[in-house]
Amino acid sequence: MKGTIIEADEGEVFDIELEKDLLQKNKQIAIKNKKMLDENKIIAIDIMGSIGSGKTSLIECLADKLKGKYKIAVLNGDLTTSIDADRVEKHGVNVIQINTGKECHLDANLVKKAIDQLELSNLDLVFIENVGNLICPAEFPLGSSKRLVVISVTEGPYMVIKHPYIFIEADVAVINKIDMAEAMQVNVEGLIKDINQINPKTKVVAISCRNREGIDELIDALDL
Amino acid sequence: MASQIVEIVSNEAKKRNAKKILEVHLVIGKLNFIGKEQLKFSYKILTEKTLLESSKLLIREEEANVKCDSCGYEGSLNFEDDQTFHLMIPTLVCPKCRKIVEIIKGKEFSIKSVKMVS
Repeated sequence: MKGTIIEADEGEVFDIELEKDLLQKNKQIAIKNKKMLDENKIIAIDIMGSIGSGKTSLIECLADKLKGKYKIAVLNGDLTTSIDADRVEKHGVNVIQINTGKECHLDANLVKKAIDQLELSNLDLVFIENVGNLICPAEFPLGSSKRLVVISVTEGPYMVIKHPYIFIEADVAVINKIDMAEAMQVNVEGLIKDINQINPKTKVVAISCRNREGIDELIDALDL
Repeated sequence: MASQIVEIVSNEAKKRNAKKILEVHLVIGKLNFIGKEQLKFSYKILTEKTLLESSKLLIREEEANVKCDSCGYEGSLNFEDDQTFHLMIPTLVCPKCRKIVEIIKGKEFSIKSVKMVS
């Protein structure tokens, strides 16, 4: 039986209940990405962090340490250029550059397109380097198994309390460039305390990519 | 985000043969990053010369609520008031027993309803 459509009269004002989730689209694709990665037994780590905090250096360190144990791919997100991808490629891992153009974060759809280009059956571990930004990436899950946030002491002592919300999303937080802490007069313990206060669940690791310090602790924190 | 709102509301208006949109009601959680002022600014520009032109974008903020598995606390998220910086820093620590809490509310970003004229 055909339903009756009741139309409002000309000029009548009416309310429509929509309940439309505006973040839903991204979430749905993120769930699909996660499923696809899980089916292929791939661990994916979303690496978020401020500009210049050392996300790429961190991936280089992790790739060097882990390439014997895992088959690794790296997705490098940036507005433009393939500088980071070229750097990472030298470490003997598969790299795909994702240029967002103008977007300040990666989203699940861009990551899906990159994943589609990978030979998933031949991979165990994927690092996704997000665009340098401590705000927007938090809102866009990509389908990763874990989310990591990188900051460094050269950004000063207030990076954590100025951007508390991204730490709410972080499974692991890294404080990089601790070899520079004294020169910068930044108290690393203070930064760790700030992260613990915001999210006691976040595992915090202080490292120096330059000196290769703390990388093993980070690998433990990531359960890799 | 703003263009998504305009697109969704325009489609709803077309479906219902509406002539004009008067109000769009949104809910934004206190724990997400959507900037209200930027959103309103972009909305105004994007709605020019559309059915949504000069409609009101009304935003209700959703409180951040948490749940504690240890003591059963359910209520608002604790904010540490840092006097040094005049900042309110959110903390996922239970205000009652100081154990870790889970977020149960405060991350919504949705269109609740639309007021239109036929």
